[in-house]
Amino acid sequence: MSIQSNVEVHTEWGIVSARQAGRNLAKDAGFGNVDQARIATAISELARNIYLYAEKGEIVIQYVEDTESPVSKRGIKIIAKDKGPGISNIRDVMEDGFTTSGGLGAGLPGVKRLMDEFDIHSTAGEGTEITAIKWLR
Amino acid sequence: MQPSIVEMIYTQKQDIISDWLSEINNVMPSGLAKKIPNEASDETNKKFVELIIESLELTEEAATEKLNEFAQHLIYLGWPLSYFTQGMQAFRRVLLETMSSMESISSKKVFETFYEIETWVDSIINQIADEYSGSWESTIHLQRMALKELSAPLIPVFEKVSVMPLVGTIDTERAKLIMENVLDGIIEHRSQVVLIDITGVPVVDTMVAHHLIQTAEAIRLVGAECILVGIRPEIAQTIVNLGIDLSKFRTKSSLRRGVETGLELTQRKIIKIENDDERIDSR
Amino acid sequence: MRIPILKLHKYLLISVQVELDDQTALQFQEDLLNKIHQEGSIGVVIDLTSVEMIDSYIAKVLGDVVEMSNLMGAKVVLTGIQPAVAITLIDMGIMLNEVPTALDLEQGLEKLQQELEG
Ligand SMILES: Nc1ncnc2c1ncn2[C@@H]1O[C@H](COP(=O)(O)OP(=O)(O)OP(=O)(O)O)[C@@H](O)[C@H]1O
Ligand SMILES: [Mg+2]
Repeated sequence: MSIQSNVEVHTEWGIVSARQAGRNLAKDAGFGNVDQARIATAISELARNIYLYAEKGEIVIQYVEDTESPVSKRGIKIIAKDKGPGISNIRDVMEDGFTTSGGLGAGLPGVKRLMDEFDIHSTAGEGTEITAIKWLR
Repeated sequence: MQPSIVEMIYTQKQDIISDWLSEINNVMPSGLAKKIPNEASDETNKKFVELIIESLELTEEAATEKLNEFAQHLIYLGWPLSYFTQGMQAFRRVLLETMSSMESISSKKVFETFYEIETWVDSIINQIADEYSGSWESTIHLQRMALKELSAPLIPVFEKVSVMPLVGTIDTERAKLIMENVLDGIIEHRSQVVLIDITGVPVVDTMVAHHLIQTAEAIRLVGAECILVGIRPEIAQTIVNLGIDLSKFRTKSSLRRGVETGLELTQRKIIKIENDDERIDSR
Repeated sequence: MRIPILKLHKYLLISVQVELDDQTALQFQEDLLNKIHQEGSIGVVIDLTSVEMIDSYIAKVLGDVVEMSNLMGAKVVLTGIQPAVAITLIDMGIMLNEVPTALDLEQGLEKLQQELEG
């Protein structure tokens, strides 16, 4: 399957379009309404972080299939990438309540809990790429 | 498939079938052979091999439909997927042996058609495997639905007051289902108070407590209130010994006390009817 | 986009029917505080039945609105938070601890009346 959505995030509207695209894809993939909300919320968090801390970047949402595991799994993958300032203290930002902007600091640790898989790569001065997957059950 | 091969298969049909039948009896999974009476398995084997040969002259669609129907039937009867895969492999062996033993077919020709037969056999195997995995998925789905119903019946005992009896071990997966069912139930019954009864929960460790606390928080967010009831003495001991903080919970020792509190919270109470004459006798 | 605020005696009623983007949420915060000031309202019900998603930012704006309104002497009740939204908030670790809730507009109003008028 090659269906995917790419959303540029450089205004607040990008945040809204990204999460709406995510919800639609999640619905089409067969996720229930709780997981749809989880996926849309995770996208909203990642998109807002791009807007707030990197000014611009991109959210890619796509269907994935894991054919290697004994029971083949399908799901939705979110990739959030930017060429912003990057994160040097990844361990800190994954703590509940850590924020540099007066937010709740719930975003990144929240995304990790909302999704099934979470991966973050970031180099200070170069940018950030975060990947998160939710599997259909 | 090349017409000459199809023709060959048809003219040799009887031999192929009998060769295949003796072959399949050798490869039949031994567990299966024991379970299924001989006549039944002989019949199924015959049907299977005839179907394979028949599928050669059907359109792809019609062949798919027939094969799926047959596979569905065997899935229903509990035959394993290995019967099909080994059956198809046996068929390929028999076919190639038959061809190479025939004078009229050159070995070059056998070699040329080898690939074609390979593809054909593989596509049938794949198709049947798909059918099987589809039905596994739906079995898993059914089990999940059954679990969902089993794990979380929110019972509306009074207007605005519901009870959620928890029975058995609570793992993360089940805790999620319970939470979803409680919340949906609250909306459906417009419950203002939910009593979570843990009388039937054998162990309350930190993980179970964590799930209970999260459920209570979610209940509050949708606009209802939660009371934890049915805390047995040994559970109270472990909770305190583990240092679990349930102070945010309203708790009551028994379901009855909980119901009373629930009614109080919704400005009602149970009263005893004093006048004997008005009492409705149950007999 | 602006979210309409209705007045009912000493109370304000809001039913959020639009997608809450950041700008709309902030505009709403400002409008509500102005209205409380203008009307001298003692209670506010914000109904979120139609809201499909609350992320950490919107949650913060809502929490702030409640706290600010309290400072101005108006008690706020949030109503109609959908199960999926509640579960997502819990996953995120956002409990909205200090915020009173009720099932729907009607019960929210009842709750306010009970607490404010006895
Ligand atoms: N794409 C990014 N580029 C650079 N820094 C980032 C990026 N995303 C997050 N950060 C940093 O990580 C911190 C934590 O992010 P997180 O989303 O968890 O919380 P927050 O954005 O501060 O608050 P909230 O999301 O609760 O409103 C941020 O304060 C910011 O310093
Ligand atoms: Mg954030």
